[in-house]
Amino acid sequence: MNEPQEKPPIGPIEPGQLPLVQAPDKIWKSIEAALDAEPVRPKRFWLAWALAAASVAVVAAISWYVTVPSSPAWPVSRLEGSASVDQIKVGEWLQTDGSSRARITVGDIGVVDVEPNTRVRLVAASSTEHRLTLARGEISAVVTAPPRLFLVDTPASTAVDLGCAYKIKTDESGDGVLRVTSGWVSLEWKGRESLVPAGADCRTRAKTGPGTPYFADAPEALQQALAEFDFRSGGADAVNTILSQARVRDTLTLWHLLSRVDAADRLRVFDRMVELAPLPAGVSREKALQLDPATLKSWREELAWKW
Amino acid sequence: MVVSDPDTIEIIEACRRGDREAFRALYEAHKDKVYSIALYFFHGDTAAAGDATQQAFLKLLTSIKSFHGDSEFSTWLHRLVVNTCLDGTRKSKSRERSAEPAELARIADPASPDEALSRRQTASRVQAALSSLPPKLRMPILLRYFEDLSYAEMAQALQCSAGTVASRLSQGHKLLAQKLEKLRR
Repeated sequence: MNEPQEKPPIGPIEPGQLPLVQAPDKIWKSIEAALDAEPVRPKRFWLAWALAAASVAVVAAISWYVTVPSSPAWPVSRLEGSASVDQIKVGEWLQTDGSSRARITVGDIGVVDVEPNTRVRLVAASSTEHRLTLARGEISAVVTAPPRLFLVDTPASTAVDLGCAYKIKTDESGDGVLRVTSGWVSLEWKGRESLVPAGADCRTRAKTGPGTPYFADAPEALQQALAEFDFRSGGADAVNTILSQARVRDTLTLWHLLSRVDAADRLRVFDRMVELAPLPAGVSREKALQLDPATLKSWREELAWKW
Repeated sequence: MVVSDPDTIEIIEACRRGDREAFRALYEAHKDKVYSIALYFFHGDTAAAGDATQQAFLKLLTSIKSFHGDSEFSTWLHRLVVNTCLDGTRKSKSRERSAEPAELARIADPASPDEALSRRQTASRVQAALSSLPPKLRMPILLRYFEDLSYAEMAQALQCSAGTVASRLSQGHKLLAQKLEKLRR
């Protein structure tokens, strides 16, 4: 891409000359406060010991898929309850009971908080792949790393971090939900992919995988119809409700539906999307309806500014 | 391999070792640019801009160990800022246009009272025009006119192609020209 030699001014402002605004001092103070905040909640040691005595503990148990003593390990710290482990190695399971929470430090790229009644296993901890299995329960991940470096497998999906923060919970069958609070997560399962941005949720179901993502503030009727469509063969009736309820930012949902509805409904979904957000220049109607991957990607990149 | 300037590399190394003073130095060097981009992006909403600035620097500190110098530090920082601003928009759509474009009173380094007043007035006009642009056109303009980034640098920060950057800048310029013309009348 050749850049123009001359950059047009914005009215009276030349490139690079927009006046800077001084950042208020209170921002640094808020950063310092965040840095100084104790990462572990205040501990009630007597309670912790009592809980330990009652065998209410975080247990590292213990399937050794890899028994090499020097296998990579991530530090584990206690957030609530009592912890009997201080690290988790590749191949090991970490399990919390009903009153315990733990924090796993994911290499040098982030942290994973393990909620009560959760079972996770460290699968890989290499420079190219950081991977956990979430067998059941709930975890919160905050990861800042190149896309696709951190992955979480559940019984019905793989959550692929695209630089983000999120919560994911599942039962042992795979029924669960992902909620993204920052950045993007790709939920993948047997060739099916749901791209979930900050503010959006995506359900998962056993043997089906990820459903269609939707914003957490989407109309309740849309969310219910989406569950019907994704997991209970809701068909045309569900699609009708989704289309009628969709707002501009729900083009997130419609963009995913485009490739998931029957051919007969695809044109209706397309028309509703264009009604909500005009088709961008460079995105061909014909190619979009043919589900051309490059066209859909370009369209998504444009729509994402409205999400 | 792209190498940042030696001072920056040294500061980043110190940050990786947990040196709070080094992080403060990094913050001081970039805070006004980050805050300004956020402030313009959020239509002069100082609370949103402050939140975004705080989040961007906390993310920076969290992830600084994974910065291996394979991109320019400033490009990496811009990407963090862009993502943080977009996250902020997604999480609180209602914040958009919630504030008057008034918080431009504390322009950095004013040369003289008259000049400062003139620059504030200009900035207010420009901010009003920028605020009316859709986010996808607003952010490339901010990166270009605050930082004078190249197309390639903006493409990295915005996670899109250089062609898309060029297209958005072109659209943004046209819209801004129209809006600034109206503001002059």
